[in-house]
Amino acid sequence: MAPEPPLLTMSGITKSFPGVRALDGVDLDVLTGEVHCLLGQNGAGKSTLIKVLAGAHQPDDGTIGWRGEQVTLRSPIAAMRLGIATIYQELDLVEGLSVAENVYLGHEPTSAGFVVRGKDARASTAALLKRLGHPEIDPARLVGELSAAHQQIVSMARALSHDVRLIVMDEPSAALDPDEVDNLFRIVGDLTADGVAVVYISHRLEEIRRIGDRVTVLKDGRAVAGGLPAKSTPTSEVVALMTGRNVEYVFPPRPTHQDLPEPVLEVQGLSRDGEFESLDLTLRPGEIVGLAGLVGSGRSEILETIYGARKPSTGQVLVGGKQLKAGSVRAAVAAGLGLAPEERKAQALLLLESVTRNVSVSSMSRFSYGGWLDRTAERDAARKATRELSLRPDNPSALIRTLSGGNQQKAVLARWLLRGCRVLLLDEPTRGVDVGARAELYAVIRRLADEGLAVLMVSSEVPEVLGLADRVLVLREGRVVHRAPAQELDEHRVLDLVMEGSPAS
Amino acid sequence: MTQPVSPPRDDTPKLSSKAEPAPWRAVVARADVRTLSLLGVLAVLILIGGITKPDEFLDTRNLQLVLTQASVIGVVTVGMTFVIISGGIDLSVGAIVALASVWATTVATQDYGFVGVLFTAVLVGVGCGLVNGVLIAYGAMVPFIATLAMLASARGLALQITDGNTQVVTIDGILDLGERDSYILGVPPLVLMFAVVTIIGWLVLNRTTFGRRTVAVGGNAEATRLAGIDVRRQRLYLYLLSGLCCGIAAFMLIILSGSGQNTNGNLYELDAIAAAIIGGTLLSGGRGTIVGSVLGVLIFTTITNIFALNNLQSDVQQIAKGAIIVAAVLVQRRTANTT
Amino acid sequence: MKQYTQQYTKQHTQQYVKHPAQHRPARPEGLALRKGTTAMPELTSRRGLLFGTAAVSAGVLLAGCTSNESDDEPASNDQPAADDKKGKQVTIGFAGPQADHGWLNAINDNAKSRAKKYEDVTLEITEGSNDTAAQIGQIETLINKKVDVLVILPADGKALTQVGLKAMRAGIPVVNLDRIFNSPQAYRCYIGGDNFGMGLNAGHYIGEQLKDKKNAKVIELAGLDNLELTKQRTAGFDAALKNYPNIKKVARQAAEFTVESGQAKMSQLLQAQSSFDALWNHDDDQGVGALRAIEQAGRDDFIMVGGAGALSAMQAIESDNSVLKATVLYPPTMAASAIDLARALGQGKGVSGLAEFEIPSSLTLYSAVVDKENVKTYLPTGFK
Repeated sequence: MAPEPPLLTMSGITKSFPGVRALDGVDLDVLTGEVHCLLGQNGAGKSTLIKVLAGAHQPDDGTIGWRGEQVTLRSPIAAMRLGIATIYQELDLVEGLSVAENVYLGHEPTSAGFVVRGKDARASTAALLKRLGHPEIDPARLVGELSAAHQQIVSMARALSHDVRLIVMDEPSAALDPDEVDNLFRIVGDLTADGVAVVYISHRLEEIRRIGDRVTVLKDGRAVAGGLPAKSTPTSEVVALMTGRNVEYVFPPRPTHQDLPEPVLEVQGLSRDGEFESLDLTLRPGEIVGLAGLVGSGRSEILETIYGARKPSTGQVLVGGKQLKAGSVRAAVAAGLGLAPEERKAQALLLLESVTRNVSVSSMSRFSYGGWLDRTAERDAARKATRELSLRPDNPSALIRTLSGGNQQKAVLARWLLRGCRVLLLDEPTRGVDVGARAELYAVIRRLADEGLAVLMVSSEVPEVLGLADRVLVLREGRVVHRAPAQELDEHRVLDLVMEGSPAS
Repeated sequence: MTQPVSPPRDDTPKLSSKAEPAPWRAVVARADVRTLSLLGVLAVLILIGGITKPDEFLDTRNLQLVLTQASVIGVVTVGMTFVIISGGIDLSVGAIVALASVWATTVATQDYGFVGVLFTAVLVGVGCGLVNGVLIAYGAMVPFIATLAMLASARGLALQITDGNTQVVTIDGILDLGERDSYILGVPPLVLMFAVVTIIGWLVLNRTTFGRRTVAVGGNAEATRLAGIDVRRQRLYLYLLSGLCCGIAAFMLIILSGSGQNTNGNLYELDAIAAAIIGGTLLSGGRGTIVGSVLGVLIFTTITNIFALNNLQSDVQQIAKGAIIVAAVLVQRRTANTT
Repeated sequence: MKQYTQQYTKQHTQQYVKHPAQHRPARPEGLALRKGTTAMPELTSRRGLLFGTAAVSAGVLLAGCTSNESDDEPASNDQPAADDKKGKQVTIGFAGPQADHGWLNAINDNAKSRAKKYEDVTLEITEGSNDTAAQIGQIETLINKKVDVLVILPADGKALTQVGLKAMRAGIPVVNLDRIFNSPQAYRCYIGGDNFGMGLNAGHYIGEQLKDKKNAKVIELAGLDNLELTKQRTAGFDAALKNYPNIKKVARQAAEFTVESGQAKMSQLLQAQSSFDALWNHDDDQGVGALRAIEQAGRDDFIMVGGAGALSAMQAIESDNSVLKATVLYPPTMAASAIDLARALGQGKGVSGLAEFEIPSSLTLYSAVVDKENVKTYLPTGFK
């Protein structure tokens, strides 16, 4: 065992919110210089735990030890003074300030106590960025002009600008491309070599295996396992701990399509300047077509343009043989298109409202007579649609924001089911959905297709596209580089196409 | 797998669905708590009024007076509540009331009698609302700016029409409505109008697609657009509605004051916004109730009444008004958090 | 009550399209008001003053000067006195607050029509503004234009003192109208109403009316409380009431000079005081609303005294069928006098009727009480 006491010892941490016990006696100890991974499903209590650690929440019970002494983290500033820095999932940068100003926000180097020495700040920011492997970021640029990945680097630079001994990273790889993930891991390696401890939160088991030292698994506000060896614990054991059951990633069987009906969606020569070019695509009822590609390959833009949320530069979209009015969501919805967007909370959900209202929002005229709502009919229809998709809880009045990611996605699907749409456009359908709930969602999507819907899906997870879709279009820099039935492709081939852009065969 | 960028506070609500088997009860309870806390504030005020001035305060005439004084600003607040729920703001309400009231009381308009005045007031209100709505919905102007411009223009036009003069109403039919003889079973006609507007407002917000769309637009405009709803047209209608309420309020003010003046409706925008906010309407949109807003108006009017009856001066009144806004919002937040 | 309203409103609407200044030439200009001592024999202090014999036809109302006795004395100095005859061309800059209600509107009208009367006067009038910064900007523009004389009715006297000083330093004499600057250096001549005196006279009038009544109760409907003039009016009113031990002021509420606020505050006052004997309302504009509230409450058990001197109020006093029995003047004709003073300053002339060579540095107007007895005299000065 380590000769010195753990850097951080949290024991018996309990935190309740009105009606909820978010943390129920959680223990966590972190050693100097280790990468300690926190695993758990959405809602397991990870975020609450790191907020307690960051001083943003005060625990109701439990103690926190720091380098052998008991401490109280009264505020984020108190935590920062001890040397605990947190990089949140949602980047908390000020877009209107420069990189250097963000890094030194709140502890600007000053002369005479108040004159900000901008030059010094910029110089030391440049040094930090270099250490983080991104010397190309200009400390004088506005943060709002940077890419998401670079913003994350800035966030990290901000953490390092303090005299830091423990860095908490909440899903740092979520917004990053593979290259950038590698860089992130290099940084984590450097930090731990310097004796800084890292608390690392991720859903990606493979990342945890690569960089983690030990793992603590949270479930329902309790630590169900603490200090497991990160590299040697079997995956099945970790998943079992997280879900409480053994889960396999199962894709529903692919039906053998004999003769599919006429195409319901035809996309002809669709382009948007700077986003994607001359896309041709047909989609028949009953089939699932997948678009595979990296972030920035124009995937989401394609779906949104077909849906009318963006106006194409050229090309047209036909539904059932009739041309859609370009750039009109209403026309697309009227023609039978439905979109489950990537950013579910920002683009699909009415977060303050109930499941019923989220489901019925696109079909309100069906339950109204001259604008007067028949709320019973609305509720019954919404309940019917959500039951069909086994949405949990089976309660149409539940607030949508209390639902898990998977069930929120089901509510979005139910919206289009209720509307009676013919073409479903799914943008990253399992984003933010727990591993355990994914298989169920795949099954739902396949069943909808079997019932006659045409599905066009986009995913950055290649196995998902390959496992769920019938046909796959591989995108690179806004162009289709390959088309093939899903069975004829494997993950390596797709990744090759995506990265190298081998000409379509 | 990629994980979405979701707010870190995610944990809490998700767990709550497990902790509470029937969240709809919580929804109902929360709405009730909000309303109840307002009723509580009102009850305290009534208690204070009753103790300090039992004879004058607890009196039918005083009830009639308080409700009458609440009615004009109340109608404006109902319209404002819709706009705020949709995530907008209408700073021009006071100016529209002023413009509608002076346009409807010019000599030329008064020649057309009762109907002419009523019609003009409503038409001017709707017209201003239309301009606001078009600028905001189709001109992509920020509501704050568009309605601020309307505030300035409407006040200017009102001044131009009156030339600073007070325009006195000479139509008996209108003047009579403000007097005791025309009370219906003790209810002043103005209060009746206020009640009707409130009930219609409540029904529209809670029982129609229009109301549902209003809430949806305020809760998440982008999601609402992507759900296939015409968000721009909805916005246009909302500012029309606010303008309509201002027109009605202007007519009521004409009845109440027996005149039209370009200084009418002074700071109505702030009073209406304040009433809606203490009534529980989110300034960011997506949530709000008509009942809450009306209670907010009644709280303000009752405070003014109690202060006047106790002969406290306007400086004290203003301080207390500010304190009540803060207190009401704090009380609400506390009660909402602990349930 | 109702009858009254209809009657007075009828007259009101018939007349209100006309320009107030159009009434004025109908009366014997220069006699009725300026020679106040003859036209208003009931006034307690004879403080009317002439600008000299020639000014008899000029029609200026100037009161409250240094001398009480010299008003009928002929001018004895050699300084040429201002008169109607065409003199040196003078450009007068006029800056006032936004004319958004009756009294201020009447100020503008008085200034304009007065300037029009003189061939040798060019009036540069600014867009009125209630915003201090905007008004400063407007005055600076006038200074840059090098007008000969400035007449300034500041939105806020204290806040505009600096710009007044600036004008004086630039050699432009300033006539400070009504709301006084902080420093006497900021103006050459001040002319304005007497807010304290207004309250004083209102108090005395009510005091005399209720002289024989035991335990009389009085209430006050004040104007905008954040204006200094409101405080001064109230102070004057209270000072006068001290002379009448039988009278007690039982309530005071502040309205906002608007009809709407007058109605709202008055109805609250009526509810609060089930019986009282007299009411003083600071402002006839808000008085329209107050009378509406009184009518709606069906009350007629007291007398009401108004303030400022609106036409509608004078008409009501004349017809004598409402609670409104009198109003205390705060005459907007002071703007016309200010133009006269500015013209005299611009032409380098003095005021005849005074022994001094120079125009006085301060003139405070008298707030006369208008009641049924003398209302006919004042009716033409009533503003809308």
